[in-house]
Amino acid sequence: MKTRALLKGASVVLLAVLGTACGGAMDVTVYEPGVYKGPKDPLVAMQATPEQKAALQARFTKSQADR
Amino acid sequence: MARMKFLCDSERCIECNGCVTACKNEHEVPWGVNRRRVVTLDDGVPGERSISVACMHCTDAPCAAVCPVDCFYTTDDGIVLHDKDLCIGCGYCFYACPFGAPQYPQKEAFGVRGKMDKCTFCAGGPEGKDNSEAEREKYGRNRIAEGKLPMCAEMCATKALLAGDGDMVADIYRERVMKRSGRPQSWGWLTAYEEDV
Repeated sequence: MKTRALLKGASVVLLAVLGTACGGAMDVTVYEPGVYKGPKDPLVAMQATPEQKAALQARFTKSQADR
Repeated sequence: MARMKFLCDSERCIECNGCVTACKNEHEVPWGVNRRRVVTLDDGVPGERSISVACMHCTDAPCAAVCPVDCFYTTDDGIVLHDKDLCIGCGYCFYACPFGAPQYPQKEAFGVRGKMDKCTFCAGGPEGKDNSEAEREKYGRNRIAEGKLPMCAEMCATKALLAGDGDMVADIYRERVMKRSGRPQSWGWLTAYEEDV
């Protein structure tokens, strides 16, 4: 009788523990990128020029557009 | 401002691995590191599909978000680059990247990771002057500074792999889809969106 009660109690505790484990938080952690700390890339300044943009667009049309 | 993007047309890719070879040759990528690779689904089965995958230069790059030393930066054209001097080879970016783009050379014993290496969209890195010897050794050739586009796309024999201004790439792809009269069904469009969409 005592054993049965003990088993019953243990199973209730076990179910409670399992239930708690299954009920995890559903929130998604979103990370934001930090600020780049390295040296500047000269390419970044070059990309701001219209000549560079035009050159890349011309290159794309020449080499990758469907014939 | 243009946003540089890659697009691989799975209807055209024939798994020749020319893009992989072109990339390795152009940048002298070391053994064990593949900045680009071709993935084939249902290999050997009728209807198999291949796509060429590398860093996709994400607009909201997860690698940059998880980097503990903030070694990533995005150029005005949307190219995601990193500084190998800051990189500590922790591997977080590899876990965060949905494309498996970050690679690590195994130069030391016991699986110690070296500095991360990935596709630079042929735009080098933050190492002195563009196309300097140091930049070439560390990041590969800087074709963008020369007014050229990534070697992998320019070498693609079937023009499956496109690289350039996202709008121009999208225009070409849209035209192809119209010519084929319908959407490509390779990626489970019907499964995802059902027939009516």
